[in-house]
Amino acid sequence: MKLSPDDKLDVREVLNDLDRYRPKRKGWTWRRRIENHRLGPFVFRNASADLNSSVPLPAAHSFGDIDPQCDCVITTEIASGRFEDDLRRMRMAAWHGADHIMVIRTAGQSHFDGLIEGTPEGVGGIPITRKQIRATRKALDAIEEEVGRPINFHSYVSGVAGPEIAVLFVEEGVNGAHQDPQYNTLYRGINVHRSFVDAAEAKKIMADGGLLQIDGAHNANATAKEAWKVTPELFVQHAINTAYSRAAGMPADQIALSTVPPTAPPAPKLSLDLPYAVALRELFAGYIFRAQQNTRYIESDTREATVTHVLDTLISRLTSADIQSTITPDEGRNVPWHYNNIAGVNTARQTLMGLDGLMDLVALRSDGMLRDRVRELKERAVLFLEEVLDSGGYYAAVGTGQFVDSGYFPERKGDGIVREPDGGVAAGTVVAREPDYGAPVCSHFGHNIYATGAGKACRDYGGCTLCDPAKIQYIDELDPEDNVEKRLLAPLADKAAGLLRPEVERHGDGIVCVTIFVPERPPIAEVAALEMARQMGLRKPEVIARRLIHPAEGSVFEIKGVIEIAVKIDDLPLPQREMLLSDAEIEAWVRPRSIHVIAATPGADEHSVGLREILDLKHGGIERYGFCCHYLGTSVPIDRALDMAEQTGARAVLISTIITHGDVHLQNMRRLHEAAVQRGLRKRLVLIAGGTQVTDDMARECGLDAGFGRGTTGHGVASFLVRQLRALEA
Amino acid sequence: MTSSERPDDFEIRRQRLRVMSDEALHHHFWALVERIVAPLIEEARTHTTPAIERSVLLRMGFSSLEAKALVGHFVERGLLGRGTGRLVLELAKRKGISVREAGVALLAGQHWAEIGA
Repeated sequence: MKLSPDDKLDVREVLNDLDRYRPKRKGWTWRRRIENHRLGPFVFRNASADLNSSVPLPAAHSFGDIDPQCDCVITTEIASGRFEDDLRRMRMAAWHGADHIMVIRTAGQSHFDGLIEGTPEGVGGIPITRKQIRATRKALDAIEEEVGRPINFHSYVSGVAGPEIAVLFVEEGVNGAHQDPQYNTLYRGINVHRSFVDAAEAKKIMADGGLLQIDGAHNANATAKEAWKVTPELFVQHAINTAYSRAAGMPADQIALSTVPPTAPPAPKLSLDLPYAVALRELFAGYIFRAQQNTRYIESDTREATVTHVLDTLISRLTSADIQSTITPDEGRNVPWHYNNIAGVNTARQTLMGLDGLMDLVALRSDGMLRDRVRELKERAVLFLEEVLDSGGYYAAVGTGQFVDSGYFPERKGDGIVREPDGGVAAGTVVAREPDYGAPVCSHFGHNIYATGAGKACRDYGGCTLCDPAKIQYIDELDPEDNVEKRLLAPLADKAAGLLRPEVERHGDGIVCVTIFVPERPPIAEVAALEMARQMGLRKPEVIARRLIHPAEGSVFEIKGVIEIAVKIDDLPLPQREMLLSDAEIEAWVRPRSIHVIAATPGADEHSVGLREILDLKHGGIERYGFCCHYLGTSVPIDRALDMAEQTGARAVLISTIITHGDVHLQNMRRLHEAAVQRGLRKRLVLIAGGTQVTDDMARECGLDAGFGRGTTGHGVASFLVRQLRALEA
Repeated sequence: MTSSERPDDFEIRRQRLRVMSDEALHHHFWALVERIVAPLIEEARTHTTPAIERSVLLRMGFSSLEAKALVGHFVERGLLGRGTGRLVLELAKRKGISVREAGVALLAGQHWAEIGA
């Protein structure tokens, strides 16, 4: 399967021949780091290999469209409930720099005793099944070819089917997974014995399969009332999973600690979070760090979330991060929308590239408050461990509610999570192995009569599925109604009819979001905003974000709703794109004619960068074709530009107009046209306006010959000038 | 029973830790962790569960549906501690049939009298 940038991902092609698909590689892959990477006008200190295809950051336009890639892997978490929609979201995320795609599981899968098959729809995630992960891996294999960088596919090895899911993941080329028996116990209420016994088997399978393991300690941040107070316990949770993983046979370079800076402004974030981050990296030197962003204090303001996430990422750069995970800025208000996955990824990559080379410039202090706090955290963690042992060990400590207490250990509030060692989901299912216990398969942990002697444990029957994938049993669908084929009927019908609908989560869901400021007190303003949304034609309008601007003067609301609108592509008045003249053709016409061009930013506007790029030789501007350019600068009166046009016998006047307050840009355009008419110059002059808010239609309505907006190049302007001037000569 | 409330008496408790170097404190930290984990990993080494047994049968070439049903039968008969994979493999060897054929026969209710004998 091969993707083309101009064509949408074809889910039918993904599903085709899936029963025979094998992943093209297994195990985790890191980015290829490049020291002192030279790109455009810059040298990057913390960069990795470039992509073949990507969407650069917006400001890249000013730097030759470079798209430097940071040295750490970037994660995005995807959870629409329908894997076929997730695949498109993954492709978009990969184009923006994500190379770790974490697929959230559907609610309730932790308690599903066995594997789920087919492609049923999920809630808050997808049911992890062989068909869905095989289809996803197949799509990701094509997406990684398209962008030119391996993509790590990741999900969860937890719940009461951990060992089976681990086998499934190794068989199907999943590259990383969360695995932490403490998570099962504390947050899913699964019996602690079952959770740990299963975990050793799952970890052994993951270790041999090259999967990167991420632990679950970060969940304590998300549940605690005062998240910074659980930091001593976080060291303990990381350590228990880490030591348990090592004992189960997992090497250090496959063990990743999932760590989240616990606070958010207005808390003094750096002074609380940085000592924690430093202490963690010192205690766990040699392991992998997966830096996650904070979700605990996100509400509905995406701007606020983004600033917190920038600070989180700053802490990653001040310490270290092998993986920088991202949280969508809308997580606090709805199931993440696909373009917000992209926003989250861009927050990380923009921050990381902006902080490139940071530690060449600054160093963390080796004395004072930072070291005092680092030391204190470590000592509090040691006291926590000592108390676990004093209580009689891990099971007893969990039974007495020592974990996830909101006190700053050794402080105790008595509100920890209590799990009876003999209770919980799947209690009583752990069975002692007999002396003759055997499991004739590879990657099995613990006592096993087949693990002794020469050769593989599966030698007696020609190899297990880990050695011979042909033995894998593929189940297609079990539910005749709840499956991808049924769900694809509507999107495929839309496609056949050439229909387009807005969407944020799933194909054609019709959801749109409007921002409305209402100048009233909050209770009135909110009701009014909803009514306005209704009158705009939004069905089921719902306030997803509200921000008080002033108690009396007003509030701003973001409102989502559904619009039942489908536009037909064939009926759209698509602008006809004119082919540009070639560089050679332009230059051949311009050079012999000595054509003068006047350029200026008129009125009271000091913007100059865009216009200089259109003119200057070194930026590929129109000078290179032989136009004689007279750049008059900024805040130039229109009359002065026309005086100059008369003096030089110019054939064109270019104005740049950025400021739009009071429609001053429209006034400038009209004034240029009218003044040229008054002076009798209009017929021989080509008049052009450019600027970020300018459109061709707008400029023509004001009487000019053309308008050029965002993304204009000197080539485009030169091509237009030559066509116009040729027409005037004819 | 939940642990009762306790004030933050860190400054008292830390006195004996204060004298340790950072390196000694790290060593102490990991030594405590090893002591906590040792009985947990020993339990895992010597015990099994339905999920582990299902994962073994998956690896032996059974589907998830077959593995779940087979393990259910083994649990009913109290045979999990022998290792379901081993019992299926031994049946296959005795009968001169493939592992899959042995499992499918068990699912059809055959040969149970010989299992675990």
